[in-house]
Amino acid sequence: MRNLITFFQRFRVFLVFAFLQVIALSMYFSFLNYPNARFLTTTNGITSVFMEMRFSITQHFHLEQANMKLQEENIQLRRQLTMSFIPLQSGLYKIDDTLYSQQYTYLPAAVINSTFDKENNYLTINAGHYQGVKEGMGVFNEDGIVGIIFSVSDHYSLVKSLLTSKINLDVLLPNGSFGLLKWDGRDPTLAQVTGIANDIKIKKGDLVVSRGSKLRFPKNYPVGKIHSFHRVNGNSLWDINIKLAVDFRKITHVYIIKNLLDTEQEKLEQQAQ
Amino acid sequence: MRNRGIIFYIILFILVVLAQGLLFDQIEPGWGIHIMIYPMFILLLPFDTKPIYLMLYAFLLGLAVDTFTNSFGLHTSSALVLAYFRPQLYALLESRDGYDVGKIATFSDMKRSWFFRAYGFGLLIHHLFFFTLEMFKFSDFFFIIQKTLLSVIASFFMILFIQLIFLNRAEKS
Repeated sequence: MRNLITFFQRFRVFLVFAFLQVIALSMYFSFLNYPNARFLTTTNGITSVFMEMRFSITQHFHLEQANMKLQEENIQLRRQLTMSFIPLQSGLYKIDDTLYSQQYTYLPAAVINSTFDKENNYLTINAGHYQGVKEGMGVFNEDGIVGIIFSVSDHYSLVKSLLTSKINLDVLLPNGSFGLLKWDGRDPTLAQVTGIANDIKIKKGDLVVSRGSKLRFPKNYPVGKIHSFHRVNGNSLWDINIKLAVDFRKITHVYIIKNLLDTEQEKLEQQAQ
Repeated sequence: MRNRGIIFYIILFILVVLAQGLLFDQIEPGWGIHIMIYPMFILLLPFDTKPIYLMLYAFLLGLAVDTFTNSFGLHTSSALVLAYFRPQLYALLESRDGYDVGKIATFSDMKRSWFFRAYGFGLLIHHLFFFTLEMFKFSDFFFIIQKTLLSVIASFFMILFIQLIFLNRAEKS
């Protein structure tokens, strides 16, 4: 018994070190996959107060740019309004259809904290549980897809951006083949697409869009353009680099996609399994 | 700068965490440079701090930084490693007379060669562990080394700069 006590006394420092290290590492590795402790992120009460304070100063820095982008987007949307079309055959037909019902609605949010040069990059946005945000919802801005909601608190949520190592987003190429989007942690403007067989013809500048699976994004939402591609040695797949549509270095405002039919699709898919 | 006890360290803790979380984490010049100034707090703790307390403080510091940077334990783990190796590092660099317990390890208080070696090696241990754990791939070995070396240089000069401005009052004893 006395030997045991002297053993513990001798290695006391190392044992405490090992104990604390195990806590830290298990926290790190479990959190990368499942967000189970919300208070340890920027969405918690204390941290978000400071983030909000900083945001109240820094939000004005990009105002001019943000306004220009909004105006451009408005023009695009205005072009699609009926008032900008001239009726060619007025009076001949009347549109009164029930063919379309709304599937997606959108929530606006501002980015109060973001990084782009870490191994895993997250964005903190100022919309949360009270605004109807749920985990797994898609996030985009006027340029393209930004990421997926990872963790939600009452007023804030954490977005897992495309610049994380485990993003695995389903993407679609113009010829209809689909692959997985990944990020290698190097360049915040380039991401990789894997899973495209190299007998499929692709070319530089091809638009890569969302596939619309997993209820998160509407189909055909822009992700990026093919930047470069080459064959992988000993593998029948392309190694594709794509230039991301979103510039994560100057992201200020985002929209969250709410799929109104997600429970229906989920139910159906569960029945099938 | 004399050792001023617990109030000084509480204020230092808060300021270091806020500076790291709100400012330095957002500075991303590319090439994998990641400026981390919070290891300074661990290195600045009094020379006679017991190793176990050193690790407990490092654990709290890491947790606080983690909540600001969404890294879920990465900073905690690296801060612990630095705290664990600090006694050995300081013992290696100790001069014949030992350390003056009333002083703390600032640039103005210590010899220049001591400061360069202590902070250089301390940051190297911390950053190397941090980036290895963050990347966690042997295929990225050279990128880890590149990130570590560039970040150590950036962090070192940022810490030096901060200490020259804010912790530079060498008191006459």
